[in-house]
Amino acid sequence: MKTSWNETRQIDAYLSGSMDTGNALLFEANMILEPALQDKALWQIKAHTAVQQYGRAQLKKEIEAVHQKLFTEPEHISFRQKIRRLFSNL
Amino acid sequence: MTTAMNNPDQLIAKREELFIRLYKKAFPTVAGYISRRGGSFDEAKDVFQDALVIYYEKTLNADTNETAYLIGIAKYLWLKRYRKNDQNIPLENIDVSADIDDKSPSAKRIMYFLEKAGSKCMELLKGFYYDQLPLTDLASAFGFSGVRSATVQKYKCLEKVRETIKQKALQYEDFME
Repeated sequence: MKTSWNETRQIDAYLSGSMDTGNALLFEANMILEPALQDKALWQIKAHTAVQQYGRAQLKKEIEAVHQKLFTEPEHISFRQKIRRLFSNL
Repeated sequence: MTTAMNNPDQLIAKREELFIRLYKKAFPTVAGYISRRGGSFDEAKDVFQDALVIYYEKTLNADTNETAYLIGIAKYLWLKRYRKNDQNIPLENIDVSADIDDKSPSAKRIMYFLEKAGSKCMELLKGFYYDQLPLTDLASAFGFSGVRSATVQKYKCLEKVRETIKQKALQYEDFME
């Protein structure tokens, strides 16, 4: 009997392509026999998409914090002026 | 081999340094480029930040630090945004599929729920899959006794996120497309 985290691991191995050919074929056969497994695999792809989007959202926050630093802290004034000049001569 | 140099906090600090450096090296060029084409400061900021995200994701495992690549991505995003096809920019190295994705309202709600209800899981999964930190470092950062328990927890979290999304998606019908 597989524990559920082990099944999740197997699905992950299949999705990431790290399963060898024999096991991947077996896994595909299991998905046909067991629609619930296929369903889990589909939702696991969405879980990965969500993790990717979460990671990206956090990264964007870090980038915005850097932007705020560069455009407010005194030590970056010359950088700031350089950028401002580019948008002032319209 | 580096030990304990890759925990999430150290990664954030390293990234801050990287982004400050890239901002200083590349943003003036990108801002000048966009300004000459009638774009505003806010548009330049937007395009540049999206370019930084793509650049970061693309070069996470490649050992490049090419400002030219970053500037190329930013120019491409600018042109794509305004469909100014009269410019010729070499695109061969830029993966179009890496564009920043906008999400449907229900996807945003699900994300909000995942952040509120399972932020520790999301942080662990992000550390492993997005930041690609070594499991040994994640194990100590998250207080697990070792790699094995971190591995088990990682899959339990993935399962939890999977089941949460499935359950929530049934409530928000526009999530499925």
